[in-house]
Amino acid sequence: MAEEVNTFDKLLNDLALKIMMVDPGDLSVVGDLILDLENLDNTPGISTKFPHLKQMALDLRAALGKIVMTDIDDSAENFDIVGQCIGLMEEVYRKNDNDPESVAAFNKLLSTLTSSPAAAEKLKDSAPEEQIKAPAAPAPAPAGSAPAAEAPDGPIIHETNPETLDFMEDMELLSGFIEETKEHLESIEVNILDLEDNPGDMEIINNIFRPFHTIKGVSGFLNLTNIQTLAHSTENLLDDVRNNIRAMDESVIEVVLKVGDCLKLMVENLQDTIDNGVEAYKNYDISNYIRWVKGVQGKETAEDSITAGSSEPSAPPAQAPDATPAAAATPPPTAPAAPTPPKSSPAPPAASNAAAKPKTKAKKVGATIKVDVDKLDGLVNAVGELVIMQTMVRANPHITAIADPKLNKDFGQLFRITSELQKTSMSMRMVPIRQTFQKMIRLVRDLSKKTGKQANLVMEGEETEIDRNMVDSIYDPLVHMMRNSVDHGVQLPEERERLGKPSYGTVSLRAYQKGGYMVIEIEDDGQGLNTEKIKRKALERGLIQESDNLSNHDLNNLVFLAGFSTADQITDVSGRGVGMDVVKKAVEKLRGKVDVMSEPGKGSIFTIRLPLTLAIIDGIIVQVGTERYIIPTIAIRESFRPRPEDYKTIKGQGETLLVRGTLVPIIRLYKYFQIEARCTDPCEAIVVVVESEGKQRAIMVDELLGKQEVVIKNLGGITDITGVAGGTILGDGRVGLILDLAGLVTAKMNYSLDVPAAIPRDNAAIEEAVGTENTTDTEKATASEQAS
Amino acid sequence: MAAEQTAVTDSTESGLGGKYLTFSLGSEEYGVEIMKIREIIGIMEITAVPHTPEYIKGVINLRGRVIPILELRLRFNMAVKEYDDRTCIIVVEVNGPSGPIMIGMLVDSVSEVVNIDSAEIEPPPEFGTPTESENILGMGKIKGNVKILLDVDKIVGAGVLEHLEASA
Repeated sequence: MAEEVNTFDKLLNDLALKIMMVDPGDLSVVGDLILDLENLDNTPGISTKFPHLKQMALDLRAALGKIVMTDIDDSAENFDIVGQCIGLMEEVYRKNDNDPESVAAFNKLLSTLTSSPAAAEKLKDSAPEEQIKAPAAPAPAPAGSAPAAEAPDGPIIHETNPETLDFMEDMELLSGFIEETKEHLESIEVNILDLEDNPGDMEIINNIFRPFHTIKGVSGFLNLTNIQTLAHSTENLLDDVRNNIRAMDESVIEVVLKVGDCLKLMVENLQDTIDNGVEAYKNYDISNYIRWVKGVQGKETAEDSITAGSSEPSAPPAQAPDATPAAAATPPPTAPAAPTPPKSSPAPPAASNAAAKPKTKAKKVGATIKVDVDKLDGLVNAVGELVIMQTMVRANPHITAIADPKLNKDFGQLFRITSELQKTSMSMRMVPIRQTFQKMIRLVRDLSKKTGKQANLVMEGEETEIDRNMVDSIYDPLVHMMRNSVDHGVQLPEERERLGKPSYGTVSLRAYQKGGYMVIEIEDDGQGLNTEKIKRKALERGLIQESDNLSNHDLNNLVFLAGFSTADQITDVSGRGVGMDVVKKAVEKLRGKVDVMSEPGKGSIFTIRLPLTLAIIDGIIVQVGTERYIIPTIAIRESFRPRPEDYKTIKGQGETLLVRGTLVPIIRLYKYFQIEARCTDPCEAIVVVVESEGKQRAIMVDELLGKQEVVIKNLGGITDITGVAGGTILGDGRVGLILDLAGLVTAKMNYSLDVPAAIPRDNAAIEEAVGTENTTDTEKATASEQAS
Repeated sequence: MAAEQTAVTDSTESGLGGKYLTFSLGSEEYGVEIMKIREIIGIMEITAVPHTPEYIKGVINLRGRVIPILELRLRFNMAVKEYDDRTCIIVVEVNGPSGPIMIGMLVDSVSEVVNIDSAEIEPPPEFGTPTESENILGMGKIKGNVKILLDVDKIVGAGVLEHLEASA
């Protein structure tokens, strides 16, 4: 204890002594000062007993660091200020860290000393004294940032001392901050892209400014210095824009976007830190970003200060002298040191910007509360149970025997209430697809910049709701398809003009609900698919036969086949089909469908159909022996009792069924699942023709029991059963298994057949069957397409 | 759990003492730590799950949750017995690969809850092969009877439900 106090005493004395001896130009003493401050900072007990002192030491150290870096002039006046600062620190120490006046005075002094927001959050000042002295001093702050003229690639990561992670103390607060910041960053991104179309719209600028302000505030509270500093400097920049000190030009937009990316990275790292412990924490070096932001900002302020010649030393930037809109609007004639991103263009006049297209989007948002997902799932489960129990009670023979009209009426009422309850609880899991869509704005913007194509993104139906569990899974396929549309669909501006199209390509992203499905459409007015070349490729790859009579639509949809994706020639040939099978797989995993319609020269429409929720599946319940299984309706083509003449075997090994001119392999479910079935002859049983991943199978079942929406449940720890996707509680309370058709279709049916020959199918036979199938499936698809 | 394991091998003065639910399989008496048990239910209709080992009888609906049922007789390679009105499902909670999971164990009949002192618990006997005793925490002695104290985490937990396809 006494030892600690002695250390403080000694260090502070030492500091005071050294600052007296310092001479302008003598940086070695400054180095000693920094060392002392570091020691002070590391003295045990400082953070508990002298938190203010600790902060002061940190701030002063940062300021001294700037002197060393010549960001701040090492003039006698400045050292004088440092001396006063040290005096105040001693004062604070003597009063046992309980001296707000001294702290305030200290901060004020420092703020006059430094232009860096790294100094302290309290420093709202960024028109520092040094700038005014700029003509005299060789290295004023903005000029000092010249090396950062290029946009930093990414933050550099510093070694970090885990002990300093005091923000980890309140996990709940921190994770709340992370969530909020992510939302803020998303809204910033959306708004800034909006701003690109509506430059000068004050409402949008405010919408960008506010989240930065919030992030700064909360991060400051949590002591996340890096995030706070970065957000703060960006906020300052935006504040200038808000106050018409500078125009919202492309350099600002670029900076804000990049800062947003950087903040996102840092916030994600925080999440990582929460998940994986303090070792995961990375101390990002944001000085490049700060310099960049400062540079962009300094372009004007420095100019102003120089031309203005004089101003109050501590004038906050908002009141920066002579910063009339007119002055700000003039692009700085001499800003050699001011870092400018490569794509920077001269700032358009702020006044006219503000007048241009004041498009504000007033969105009606109801009051919302945040609810734990687990609680929500619990509610949905409980309601599902309630519905099942109600059905069971209703089906009880004793109840059905009662012929009381009152009872029947009451039951009817009860049903209405429970179904309303179910609908409401389900809808609570739904979120608008807006957020996912909005991420596409940035994607299209970046893509068109990169590819040199000009694309306009038009979005419709952002309010359409989707199961929140699906949001993440739909993102990747959507990105893939957007990229495809912009990169391969939309032609280059010159070519478009040659073809008599507007040079700006239009990519529309639409979402709407239709018949229990959510439909997402991506339409471009580009070149469309080259059907001829797709056909040629498909023939080369043996995916189709020359004899297959396929419509253009069927041919176009071949791009979703797996065989197509790996072909890099496709990019050269038609420019389509790269990785589209990945899209198809992802969508099918969500029990959806994907389809393309294309007209050469006019463009293409990609359509994704998704179920509204992942929790419920629309299924046909089938009976096999004593067991009941659920087959997802979306995969079912048809079901019927086969005629004996349609039953064929291939080489006496594989069983197939002729369905509308197509040979479809038969799956004997009872054999594969090793249970007893009532029907063992396909012609006595019912077959359900299903399609998954472009392959068809005829599944043999005893009976169709009905169609029902069922709630999907996992099997309580049993996983990876081929052919079983999950379970559900059926109307009678028993568990029914949901078939996994993708698994069944690809599974090796190595059961032995009773009829006609007990020879297990070998690989060759399967391959052959699959070969036949692919051609025939498309035919089949034609049939069903035409039928519908 | 690991601590318990080492304790068993170290000495009989282990932390194994406590309340156990005892049940019978044929002529043998078994015990399961009471803290692992969620509930005891009567036999109900079980939906078979294909491609699982024989001892996994299938799944049931436990108030909206689907939980797997394990036939303990088959798990221990004992002859199956027809279910009667004494047949019970003991629902236990064990550590699954991703958090705790509930599993039902089918047993002939449930007996009682007994308190067994640490001093009354002997380490599992050695049969020369490790497989015989790996599921056993120890042997509890009460009033001349010997209860086989089971390590449910080993019997029904990690590894039992995963990669079923391979073992099927």
